[in-house]
Amino acid sequence: MTVEFGDVVETRYVTSEEQLKRSQFGFSPVSFSGSPIVYTPGDVVHLPYASGELSTLEAVGLAWGAFSSGVGPNP
Amino acid sequence: MAAKVGGKFGTFNKRIDYTFADIKPITTEFSRGTVPNSIVAMDRESAWARWRRGYEIAVAVGIQKSYNFPFRYTLPVPQGTSLPPGNDPVIIGVLQGFPTSNREFGIHWTGCRVSALLRFDNVFDSIGTRGSVASYTEDADYWYVTLAGTWSSVNPLPAPLYIPGVNGGEALKPLIGEVVEDRVLIPEGIPITAASRNPATDTRYGYVQTLLIDIDQNNGILKLQKNGSFEATIDGNFVTPATRPPAINRFLILGSRYACTCQDFTRRTYADFSKRNDSQIKKRFPYTRPAGLKFGRHEILTDSFGNVNNNADTELNNNRNLELTFQSIDNPGLFQDFGGRYLRNTSSPGASEGPVTFVDYKAKDNQIISFSDYWSPLLDEMRYCKHIYALRFQEGILLPEPSDLPVEMEEGIVNWEQRLTKEVANIKSNIDYMNSVKGLSYMDMPPKNLQSPQLLPMLQKLLNIPASFIRLQNFSLQNKDGSFT
Repeated sequence: MTVEFGDVVETRYVTSEEQLKRSQFGFSPVSFSGSPIVYTPGDVVHLPYASGELSTLEAVGLAWGAFSSGVGPNP
Repeated sequence: MAAKVGGKFGTFNKRIDYTFADIKPITTEFSRGTVPNSIVAMDRESAWARWRRGYEIAVAVGIQKSYNFPFRYTLPVPQGTSLPPGNDPVIIGVLQGFPTSNREFGIHWTGCRVSALLRFDNVFDSIGTRGSVASYTEDADYWYVTLAGTWSSVNPLPAPLYIPGVNGGEALKPLIGEVVEDRVLIPEGIPITAASRNPATDTRYGYVQTLLIDIDQNNGILKLQKNGSFEATIDGNFVTPATRPPAINRFLILGSRYACTCQDFTRRTYADFSKRNDSQIKKRFPYTRPAGLKFGRHEILTDSFGNVNNNADTELNNNRNLELTFQSIDNPGLFQDFGGRYLRNTSSPGASEGPVTFVDYKAKDNQIISFSDYWSPLLDEMRYCKHIYALRFQEGILLPEPSDLPVEMEEGIVNWEQRLTKEVANIKSNIDYMNSVKGLSYMDMPPKNLQSPQLLPMLQKLLNIPASFIRLQNFSLQNKDGSFT
């Protein structure tokens, strides 16, 4: 199995058939393929930012740096 | 005086008529008003009680998965910066709602930011060397890990590890208190899991989780705490404390982070807007008794026009900002207390755990000289609320049982547990619907409520970015087909 960008590498919480069945509330039709619960507590995701991209780490750094000098986010 | 009856968390005992009827109870930390048995029971508000109750909630929530909101947040870039092409910087997590009959608009919101969002293979020095673990030294309490690269006062560690002060302002190190894990073996590699094996030797890699305590930006050194650290061993077990520092040549990642809006986690008492069980259901004007007001922090939310706006409902196109001021009295009506920071007293590893410490601010000459919000989270460092314990149980690791088992008078803990189990089943099957109706009538669902006075401070702790960078339009939530829109 190839792990793509943003995929969950490890999930500690596997949704059972029963849970999937019961999570369909209401009367509107709900359709999904696979498990609809994508991210759960304890997940580890795969975010291999390549060079040239703005990684989450760098973006958090930019945000705190901007905060420090009184600059807001791009509208 | 008699103990409270009924199945609320923290009520261990049946009604007991005390002979010392005039003893005034001690005010509770859970904002249930009072701790009825605090005179005669020991350790009533223990971490153990949170841990046990968290398990019960985890099981109950896990079945239905209601109010479960996985989200993707695309980080905005600062003004004047443009987003380069390619993958967007994202923060991924889950928001879980816990309907409650008592406070806070009917629903508590607990958040988890998942692991491995921030990776140290994206830490570069001035010539492009990636910040892997190069070497370490240690003393009795800490590991001092040096990152690869050339670091100096001219080329310190990059943001967000270190943000120099502007115009003489204070430097920021917002990642202090985060959990770090040595789980990336090669640049842009897939984070390993506890089960990952080295194909050359067919043994597990194993990894270490530990808390980031301090950062020496000029020498590229991270100070990591041994106490409370965690290790996935090559045997496939989890042990604490870790037996080794983060492995050389690996890249660190940041671990999961949790935050909650409940009174226990925020250490605040909410105003009581209404009670479902009132004999007459009526709206109440939120107020705080003057005697309950304290000097301290006030969180002010302003809309894009600069007007103070504390509405629970928000508009998608009118983002709010959060300001903290501690030179005022509390926010009357919303909170009765400022909250605080509640850490375990683990400054001297090896010694038994002493009384908890309560650190909120430092004062000198009647002036607050430094204010510390509740930033340092995780591992065993901060006492979790029952909701966060519930989410941590969903991680699938059976959390270590806290040793501060409450000792009560007459009723055994077994009876209490049996009652708790029945009570949770009853709540889930009968009362949750009512709580939901009430909660939904008071407040929005994510993402629309994320800038409400309760959620924005929590979200800032969870995402660990400035509040001004939390923008409603940047949230993607899962639609009914399972994709993020």
